[in-house]
Amino acid sequence: MLVQWRIQRLLHQMRHSLAAPSRNPRTAVVIGRLLATAFLVCFATGLYSHFIQDPLPGMLFLTRPVWLYQVSQGIHITAGIACFPLLFAKLYAVFPELFQSPPVRSFSHFLERASIALFVAASLVQITIGLLNTYQWYALFPFPFRQTHFALSFVIIGSLAIHIAVKLGTIQKYWRKKAHYDDEPDPDATFDVPDELRRLTGEPQASGVTGRLFNWIDKTPAPAEPKTSRRGFFATIGVATAALVVFTAGQSFRAFDITNLFAPRKNDTGPQSLPVNRTAEKAKVVDAAMSSNWRLAVSNGSSTKTFTLDELKALPQYDVVLPIACVEGWSQYADWRGPRLRDLVDSVDAKSGASVRITSLEQNSSYAVTTMEPNFVRDELTLVALELNGEVLDIDHGYPARIIAPARPGVLQTKWLSSLEVLS
Amino acid sequence: MTTTTARMTATRRWQVALITVGVALLGVGGIVLLMDVNPSRYVGIAIWFLGALIIHDGIAAMVVFGISIAMRRFGRRIPGFVIAVIQGALVIAAIFAAIVVPEILKQSIGSANPTILPLNYALNLALFYAGLAVITTATIVGYLVLARRQKLRSSISQH
Repeated sequence: MLVQWRIQRLLHQMRHSLAAPSRNPRTAVVIGRLLATAFLVCFATGLYSHFIQDPLPGMLFLTRPVWLYQVSQGIHITAGIACFPLLFAKLYAVFPELFQSPPVRSFSHFLERASIALFVAASLVQITIGLLNTYQWYALFPFPFRQTHFALSFVIIGSLAIHIAVKLGTIQKYWRKKAHYDDEPDPDATFDVPDELRRLTGEPQASGVTGRLFNWIDKTPAPAEPKTSRRGFFATIGVATAALVVFTAGQSFRAFDITNLFAPRKNDTGPQSLPVNRTAEKAKVVDAAMSSNWRLAVSNGSSTKTFTLDELKALPQYDVVLPIACVEGWSQYADWRGPRLRDLVDSVDAKSGASVRITSLEQNSSYAVTTMEPNFVRDELTLVALELNGEVLDIDHGYPARIIAPARPGVLQTKWLSSLEVLS
Repeated sequence: MTTTTARMTATRRWQVALITVGVALLGVGGIVLLMDVNPSRYVGIAIWFLGALIIHDGIAAMVVFGISIAMRRFGRRIPGFVIAVIQGALVIAAIFAAIVVPEILKQSIGSANPTILPLNYALNLALFYAGLAVITTATIVGYLVLARRQKLRSSISQH
């Protein structure tokens, strides 16, 4: 049935008809550089966010500048959103390569194509689940977000390194602008090539239903001004990327708040004009948090002290202005007031180099128990906050007491405190 | 000749280093997947991978191809600049739809609390499209007016 030669002809016809002025190696290199930069920025900021939540032994994190995590995670999410137009542009530029013939030339060619398929699939899935995570639409994917997102980040950067290695010759050749980009003889540049099928059966390229369709496409005049077409392509991707940033970055960067049309979060919304990630009701802490029996237990080995809310209020109170910065990218500065964490742990004779295990009233959450490293514990800005923006903490912001510390992700700013345990 | 050989060697070295790093990172990704994600979820991940390729390469890219062919075919008398501007506007509109329509859907289903998806995304998208249409039209009109003036000027100077 000559299936092999029919497939080969179809691939040739597809590649031929997909040719466009902006589909050339130079475009792939220019867009590829931008996309690779965005991927690496997302990878670096993502690793920072991951390890500040789950540090490896010996890892230390800075407490200054106070906006370090806010900016790092804001960049992570904004760059992630910018990846959408950049990835679409990159895939557009190289789309004809999907139809190269023969599809597999050798084992190393098979490995190259398989690694690209993995790279493309992982990239598309990664940015999609990342975006869906920013508004917590987990029901759509049947796998855990955080672990999968973390694993895929290595798959993507690993595939990127291999892809750069394989394409290094092309990258070097097209790194700088050239007068023209058609110096590569393209076997699919001409439609009516005498192929194997024609040699065996005499069928011309334009025969059959698909042949006639491709012939019709071939008769379609190519863009009269290839330069205009190429410039239009770059302008489109530039405008799309810039517009996405301008209309979504407001959730992370105050300067863009006024143009925040499409971000999943908006500054100044929610109780006490501050967004919420998990409500008290969802965390099932309302009764325990509102109970008159609530106490904060502070312990160091066998020594334990308990504090009522009034006793906490009687301690020296401090005012700090710190951002609450969520792993989902949104962040907002707020005024916090309460006793310093270090004063509380010093009441049970904590050593200066001690970490503190912080436990929430919340059950069934991976963040119900967290550990704070000594430099955050000792920081003068780290509070057990009792007030927010001049009012008693709202229940959804962690009433009766919560942690607020500089340069930490929101999930570690434990709400509805239950106990503080000094670790030796 | 020596320089070329030296450069080839340097390129080769970079390639070996990049592939080594790449394979190592793929290994890390695989280990994280094995250790942190329950094997019962692997099928779901594989379906998403396959779905992503089919939706992009099989559907979205083909639709883009069809539209660009149609625009070229039926827009023969339209200047290339105008075609490029219209295509650009359509692409921008499609990218924004891909980002914003899921937000509108999730908002209609309901979110975990009122501070997640608090904006009127449908209205904002309509406003954005209106703005895009105005800018696109203004750009095309501006181009056509300029092109006409230039044409007039060149025809006058020829007399």
